[in-house]
Amino acid sequence: MGTIKNRREATTWQHNYDAGAPRIGDSAPDFELRDIQGENPIRLSSFRGHKPVALIFGSFT
Amino acid sequence: MSLNEIYQTYQHKIQFIKVYIREAHPVDGWWFGKGLMNALLRLSGSKVSWEIYDPKTIEERRAAAGDCAESLQYGVKTYVDEMNDQVNKDYAAWPTRLYLIDKNGFVVYAGGLGPFGFKPGELKRALQKHLQEDMIS
Repeated sequence: MGTIKNRREATTWQHNYDAGAPRIGDSAPDFELRDIQGENPIRLSSFRGHKPVALIFGSFT
Repeated sequence: MSLNEIYQTYQHKIQFIKVYIREAHPVDGWWFGKGLMNALLRLSGSKVSWEIYDPKTIEERRAAAGDCAESLQYGVKTYVDEMNDQVNKDYAAWPTRLYLIDKNGFVVYAGGLGPFGFKPGELKRALQKHLQEDMIS
């Protein structure tokens, strides 16, 4: 994925990837990410059996 | 209801994870820093940035994520997607999206595609419903 330049590229990207995105009832894709310092890795599956998780995706623009 | 209010209300029962992903409208991309869209966003009181270039390295991305967290003040700790955008792709998350995952790892709420499908109020209702059902079961 490169920088999206216009509405047409945005629509194409969303169309392509939304087809494979998890729906209600699907297993959530696992991931491990680090914080803004590049530290403290967190793994989604580490919360299984403990707590529900709310995921908030976004950027600054 | 804002995401910050939802977080403050449910943080003890729900794990909140903010995932910073590729910029939606950077200066070097589909930029909203001028014209009618810019005027509308400024009138709305939006706190988004008009001066961010799409980060080219993970260090730049982490720095932008930190600036974002400081400005938007969701209260939710931010984690940064890698430069291959894998998590973004897995969840079709660009430019913004909300999900709720139950404690067994299954999706119980999948928000619509952003920006128009980004509805914190829907997430709140999903949280309330899920927590009620979880108490009953």
